[in-house]
Amino acid sequence: MNKSISIARYHPEQDNQPRLQAYQVQSDHSTSVLDALLQVQQQDPSLGFRWSCRMAICGSCGVMVNGIPKLGCKTFLRDYPDELTVSALAHFAVEKDLIVDMQPFLQHLNAVKPYLINSEQSAEPHRQTPAQLAKYQQFANCINCGLCYSACPQFGLNPEFLGPAAITLAQRYNLDSRDQGKAARMPQLNGKNGVWSCTFVGFCSDVCPKKVDPAAAINQGKVASAGDFIISMFKS
Amino acid sequence: MSDKPVSNKTAPGPYQPVMHRYWWLQHRYFRLYMLREATVLPLLFFIGCLLYGLYCLGQSEAQWQGWLAFMAQPWVVLLNLLAFIASLFHAKTFFELFPRVMPLAPAGFMIAGQWLATLLVAAGLIVILGGWI
Repeated sequence: MNKSISIARYHPEQDNQPRLQAYQVQSDHSTSVLDALLQVQQQDPSLGFRWSCRMAICGSCGVMVNGIPKLGCKTFLRDYPDELTVSALAHFAVEKDLIVDMQPFLQHLNAVKPYLINSEQSAEPHRQTPAQLAKYQQFANCINCGLCYSACPQFGLNPEFLGPAAITLAQRYNLDSRDQGKAARMPQLNGKNGVWSCTFVGFCSDVCPKKVDPAAAINQGKVASAGDFIISMFKS
Repeated sequence: MSDKPVSNKTAPGPYQPVMHRYWWLQHRYFRLYMLREATVLPLLFFIGCLLYGLYCLGQSEAQWQGWLAFMAQPWVVLLNLLAFIASLFHAKTFFELFPRVMPLAPAGFMIAGQWLATLLVAAGLIVILGGWI
């Protein structure tokens, strides 16, 4: 079956803003948006987009499909019987066509120290019970695709906002029984661009392809931040 | 190759998207969010009425009767009805969101649930495979 899709094209040396270009692709029940983009690239090799695993693990193929952030490989043409418009992820600078500059996102991730911090030097493995694992496991499923940043109007309005994925990862390590880095992460979460910039729109959780529920993580972070504030009052 | 328009661009570089002032009209999810946030407006009116009533009660009987008459006006009743509906809508969203902020299901229960699911699946497999063999 022939299907028409519109793709937002942007050439950094020629265009002032993205422009829509229509293409025809062959589609059947199993054609994903990523498959369609690959077909378009056969017709027009100048089309730029990122992709790798094709199975919602690498998180590279995030695009806006009819204005909603989606993974190209996990979105199917059969669900869009009418019009289908693919554009670059919202709230990020567009480098070319569907390729965005993920640098701000990576900087925010880095800022929350998303790794285990533990000063204990021990040859023994850090044991963890299933109950301790269950506390953070859901938040550990993030694949860093950045869809939540494109869904977040607060990040769109204030690019300095740490954003859903970074705060979720901070929360994920803070809840890990093997970690001792909470004190190092809390200043970021307590700050102006930390958890309190979130107004619980909740769209980030809706678009998350891995059901991480970043909105829940951020708002649990608010509880942690309030607790941290009360404890600091008694310390000083 | 695609048709390339004649460029009037001065310097090459990435396109910086700007957020439209009416971003919240973009789709249903944002409109519902704004509706949730806007429930505070009729509730403010209701609280104002209530506080004014308390003040009148402390002043004199005439003032109290005046407040009762004010509250019986159709537009006041209508606004308070709106505040009631808004509070119901807000309560619905609250009970949807609150368990995610303060997860009440302790991890122990979740693990017990996982064991239960494992047992059920294992029992099901034994029954199916047992019947098949």
